[in-house]
Amino acid sequence: MLARVADRVYWMARYLERAESIARVTNTFSHLMMDLPIGTELTWRTLLEIFEADKDFRKQEIAYGEISTLEYMIARPENMSSIFYSVKAARENARTTRDVLPEEVWESVNELYVYSKEFAHKSIDRRNRFNFLTNIVKRCHALNGLLMTSQIRDHTYRFIKLGHLLERIDITTRVVGTVYSAVESRDVKNRAFDSLIWAGLLESLSAIGNYRRSIGPMAEPHAAINFVFLQGRLPRSLVFCFSGIRKSLTCLNGHEKVIEPIDEALVMLDSFNAEKMSPKMMKIFVQDLQICAERLSLGATSMWFSSSSS
Amino acid sequence: MHSSEYEGVVLGFGDEIINPLWKDYYSDNFFDEMIASDGMPRNASKGLYDFFNSIDEKEMQDRRTAGELAIREMGVSFTVYSADSNTDRDWPFDVIPRTIEGSEWDPVSESLKQRSRALNEFIHDVYNEQRIFSDGIIPSEIVLKSPNFKSACLGMSPPFRAWAHICGTDLVRDTDGEFYVLEDNLRVPSGVAYMLENREVTKRILPELFEHYDIRPVDDYPLQLYKMLASLSPRKNPKPTIVVLTPGIFNSAYFEHAFLAHSMGAELVEGGDLFVDDHNIVFKRTIDGAVRVDVVYRRIDDDFIDPEVFRPDSMVGVPGIMRAWRDNNVAIANAPGSGVADDKVIYSFVPEMIRYYLDEEPTLASVETYLCMNEADRIYVLNNIERLVVKPANESGGQGVLIGPHSNREEKEKCKESIAKQPRNYIAQPTLSLSTAPTYVDGKINPRHLDLRPFILHGRDIWVTPGGLTRVALKRGSLVVNSSQGGGSKDTWIVELKE
Repeated sequence: MLARVADRVYWMARYLERAESIARVTNTFSHLMMDLPIGTELTWRTLLEIFEADKDFRKQEIAYGEISTLEYMIARPENMSSIFYSVKAARENARTTRDVLPEEVWESVNELYVYSKEFAHKSIDRRNRFNFLTNIVKRCHALNGLLMTSQIRDHTYRFIKLGHLLERIDITTRVVGTVYSAVESRDVKNRAFDSLIWAGLLESLSAIGNYRRSIGPMAEPHAAINFVFLQGRLPRSLVFCFSGIRKSLTCLNGHEKVIEPIDEALVMLDSFNAEKMSPKMMKIFVQDLQICAERLSLGATSMWFSSSSS
Repeated sequence: MHSSEYEGVVLGFGDEIINPLWKDYYSDNFFDEMIASDGMPRNASKGLYDFFNSIDEKEMQDRRTAGELAIREMGVSFTVYSADSNTDRDWPFDVIPRTIEGSEWDPVSESLKQRSRALNEFIHDVYNEQRIFSDGIIPSEIVLKSPNFKSACLGMSPPFRAWAHICGTDLVRDTDGEFYVLEDNLRVPSGVAYMLENREVTKRILPELFEHYDIRPVDDYPLQLYKMLASLSPRKNPKPTIVVLTPGIFNSAYFEHAFLAHSMGAELVEGGDLFVDDHNIVFKRTIDGAVRVDVVYRRIDDDFIDPEVFRPDSMVGVPGIMRAWRDNNVAIANAPGSGVADDKVIYSFVPEMIRYYLDEEPTLASVETYLCMNEADRIYVLNNIERLVVKPANESGGQGVLIGPHSNREEKEKCKESIAKQPRNYIAQPTLSLSTAPTYVDGKINPRHLDLRPFILHGRDIWVTPGGLTRVALKRGSLVVNSSQGGGSKDTWIVELKE
């Protein structure tokens, strides 16, 4: 398999996952902002912080607000963390790798792009937003289903899986890290509504139903974090994603070095318990996990995607 | 218009009831591929004519819609360049196939092989002994000063003395029905994927016709291409590594590059996927490290193939690939420098080449050509421009062509100025009366002009596609068949007739 083709299918998968995650998180976040009583809510800035879009947003001297934030996260073509940008990038990568993917993949990615191009900028206000975000999530689901049911289990599939799961690790750690510190740092007396925020977090990571069934109806911060980090059967949990990548990469030449950070992360997670963590420790822990993910990404790039010249 | 006022092909001889689809089908004095001058279908077209005469407008429309759908589903597209964006368009396809009798095609096929042998001998000679100059057959300056002559290829001797491994030769038929060569495309000829896809589409939308017709298959082209490319491999391993080198997604023929790679089971690579090491070996970058490449089927022009040797600003080429080729560590198809024979001035010397190198008489006619570099010819061209087709010697895709009878005064004046400035760059030919074939346009079947591009593969053996890509000018009276300029295409049937 050509290194370039491997690189492109990997990025296609990452961008597709990113588009879906942004849509999912943005949707939950916007519902949360409507539900929380005035004075107990988070700020719109938190949404930007989750996707590390805050700095660029401020550089452009845009005022924080619902519409400006959502326009930036949904439709802004130059924002590398917007839905539209992610969809476009996924399409560019799929376009030149059509021959290693099932035929319908290109068609569906292209349709997703055409849809986003037409509707993203019309879907900022509250009335159209929900519909658009839900549609993005559904279309991404359909694409994932297509890949899962028709992609031959070859190296292409393994790199798709790598991109897909690595992006999930990225999103899950960011959502937890940002929301946790945003909640902690608020100067709010009334914490009666915090469980809504934690339920929202679980919802944005497709974990709320499973959480209620296995833990209970009330979303508690520590239990929620433990759940999305450690529940190995939950497809967005860190343990699930790290182990999934590990399993998938072992078929590839040169995987031994690449998977080192995975093993480190799994060891860290093995002794993790949110209840025993101070907010400061939590912050450092999440950062360490993100560093593992970053090292994994760099390792894969230098091992397979750039293919040395000798 | 009452067709009976004119001579030529008129359908509905006698008291036959005419299907409204065919009403006024009239092909002037042109040779019509389907209908003979007596108004009756030619032998190879009889079944086809009966079929399209038996259906009504609705069914015709249905078949056409089915064809368009098939093309979209199969993802057959080509890229149209425009000022602000490049768009993929569906391939324009006409549902009515074009037929040629097998016995009529075979001599043409043989003649194309003859031509390919002579052209390859010529290229080899130009880069080696240059006998054809010293023997005074072709003046050396017109070859050596051509931008397609590449001195970096001097002294090279590729396997089987084959340089132009893939050649797309454009043929037309004049009023007498005889085939003429219009030009030889020896650089990176395109269109063969569309030939294959046209057949696929036709099989889907006219399946019943294949029951009674004996039509030569075209779908082993990718296999023949693979065999030809494999025969060039410098390493004699049973499964050489073959790649298709594309300039990328923005090239108008990207669809074809991907299609051919896919159907040969070869990898589609971009310049950045390949590199050449210090021992002048070509490698591709894979997830398992570097893998040696034996044969590069390149779809990039000479000028861009190696920035070390040709244009240094090329972003799509492979630095060092010429070193590897010169050391015979990799085969490049078509060989660099092959374009030297793809020039409309050189074209006029091909009959001489056939006599000179092969000691044979050319069996395929060429179109009479006036070389503007010769004073007598130039004067003739300037005085008769309204009757001639003027072509730049080095362009492809119909770029810069002036069709005298179809151009206005201003265009003609501009063209004359260009000729006076750079006579070597222009040739002129009489306006040919291209043959026509029934084509479904504007809700009716009308005659439209067409040409034919067969593909010749030249490695250890020479192989010619049965038929080729038929391109048709969809505009009434138009002679421009290029897809980038509003042309369409037809499936081409070489038909075996039963005794």
